[in-house]
Amino acid sequence: MIRKPVDVGDPDRLYMVTGGRSEADDSFDLVTLVVSESEPTQGMQSEHVRILELCRHPTAVVEISAELALPVTVVRILLGDLHDMGKVSARHPRAAASVAGLPETALLQEVLHGLRNL
Amino acid sequence: MPVPARPRQRRSVKGARSLPVAFPAALLVTAVGGAVAVVVAPAGARGWVAGTAAVAWGCLAVVVAVTARSLRRARREAASRGGELETARNHWMQRGAELSQLVNATLPGLVRQIKGGARPADALAHASAPSDPHLRQLAEVFVTEVAAAHRRATGAEGELRALREELAQGSAELERLTTQTLPAAVALLREGSSADTVLTRFEWPRSGLLRDPAEWFVRELAYSERRSAAAQAASAKALSRVQAKTVSMLADLRDMQDRHGGEVFGDLLRLDHSTSQLGLMTDRLALLMGGRSSRVWNKPIVVESILRGAVGRIAAYRRVRLHNSSKAALSGFAAEGVMHLLAELMDNAANFSPPIDEVHVYVEERSAGLVVTIEDSGLKMSDAAMRRAEEAVSGKVTDLASLQGTRLGLAVVGRLAVKYGISVNYRPSSRGGTGVVVLLPPQLVAQQREPVVAERSRRDQDSGPAPVAVPEPVAVPEPVAAAAEPLPVRTRTPDADTAPARPVGAAGGRAATPGGLPVRAPGRTMAEAERERQRPDAAPSGTQPAPGPARDAGSRFGAFHRGRHGAASGTEDPRPAPHDE
Repeated sequence: MIRKPVDVGDPDRLYMVTGGRSEADDSFDLVTLVVSESEPTQGMQSEHVRILELCRHPTAVVEISAELALPVTVVRILLGDLHDMGKVSARHPRAAASVAGLPETALLQEVLHGLRNL
Repeated sequence: MPVPARPRQRRSVKGARSLPVAFPAALLVTAVGGAVAVVVAPAGARGWVAGTAAVAWGCLAVVVAVTARSLRRARREAASRGGELETARNHWMQRGAELSQLVNATLPGLVRQIKGGARPADALAHASAPSDPHLRQLAEVFVTEVAAAHRRATGAEGELRALREELAQGSAELERLTTQTLPAAVALLREGSSADTVLTRFEWPRSGLLRDPAEWFVRELAYSERRSAAAQAASAKALSRVQAKTVSMLADLRDMQDRHGGEVFGDLLRLDHSTSQLGLMTDRLALLMGGRSSRVWNKPIVVESILRGAVGRIAAYRRVRLHNSSKAALSGFAAEGVMHLLAELMDNAANFSPPIDEVHVYVEERSAGLVVTIEDSGLKMSDAAMRRAEEAVSGKVTDLASLQGTRLGLAVVGRLAVKYGISVNYRPSSRGGTGVVVLLPPQLVAQQREPVVAERSRRDQDSGPAPVAVPEPVAVPEPVAAAAEPLPVRTRTPDADTAPARPVGAAGGRAATPGGLPVRAPGRTMAEAERERQRPDAAPSGTQPAPGPARDAGSRFGAFHRGRHGAASGTEDPRPAPHDE
């Protein structure tokens, strides 16, 4: 039997993370910035803990999704739970903030260069 | 007239001898008497009387003479008869003596000689044979018969002894066969030896009566052992393919869940659940058939993931409530087994409780190990059922023959419990149903990494004056992540990736452009390169300066891109979110 590299994954399945739910409410879209409102507490689901720790600074939903390596739908369900518990708040990204967050020009040029070389 | 008394004469010789005197005396007396009578008689009658007397005397004399003669003859005859009688008596006495000698001395002597092993002819020659031919014949017949009887008796005795020895030997062999040889042979056969090996290794009884059935038994047992082993191996092999397929299906499903959203996502979750249940069933059968679990984890798995992995494999996973605050992790080698064990017990608990009741799972950390309690509020198990369950989970009976029908789960629990040294105990639950207490021994619990350090370092950084819009790199390890991927974290030098621009291949052959972008080495998948790129970010960065802004921007951009890509099909029209602040 071939041991495939899938075994480096996690044993818990997504339906266990969401508790069987697959529908997220529409409170969060991809670029909604999420900020945690409280510290994680004992006995919390580990994904909730990670989201709360991640969102000490405003973080976009997609970033949470990428960092947690979970599909966006799952993250939205989890965020919906946290939001219902009052542990996170969500807001639109500010345009001004995004300017400061842009990568440096040198990096972008490098990316462009790399893309052309493909 | 005097009559001679013959019997008296016969009886006594003396009487017989007196008779010859008596006869002349009688003649004389009668002659005198006649003379007297003649004298006395009247003269006239004298002549007549004399004549008469003479005639009478003459007659008498004749009679006497005849009588005397016959008497003599009878006497002679009696004498010869007496001699004959004497001879016969002597003969008889001699015969009696011979007979008594024959009976008292000769025959016992002959018997002794024959018993001593002499031949009948020799024995007869040595013995004093009786003179009488009949007795001699009798002695010969006797000797012959005795010799024949003695031969027969000796033969029978020898035969009896031989038979007795044979019987004793046979019973000894039988005993050895049943008490030593057969158990050892059966044990050897169960280990998988062939019938010929077993037959040559042991000493089997010489008697065919025992050897043939024993050999037949061994061959039959070997055949049935081979058959059951072949059946087990075939099913384990087939099941391992199913297991591999299930695992790859789960991986594919996870991949699809990353790529699809919306309605498809829900369907994928349902499929995922079904496949997980299929995996549990397959693993159960594979373990019973001597196969292996479908997965092997190469890293410690935290208890929460263990519990969720276990719950996710049963049908009624929504009815299970997990109460876990433990941050411990289980070693990778035992994680799959523990998950399977817990899944079986939860499945049992969920199946034997009302479909509306919940099953509660509690985790406690004790010095004796991790205690997992599974409590349902179903029917109380009867004492007998609880005893049966205890026996099943004790793992003492591992024979497939003891399996009963569809109740395979507890047998698997027993095997896993024995394999990993887990103790499983049933008790009545305070919730009204049954509780199962699972004690995971400390050697299954992975060594705790120090997640506290990483957390504190990040907090220190958070409290620092860094109110820029670009936050801290997002890959600072969670406690969970630190426990999950310990090795690269701990082996890498702290300042391996702090400099944004580094020479290519400076840190463990990892290539990067001067701007910090990864360069994929030939023959490597992008995913691997991606993973390795993330690892240095996970290093505890308490003592090092904050990474450069260019690095952060790149990782953030990459994360955004990945998330966007992953959710492309899920949320087609990202509407503006409600402004919460």
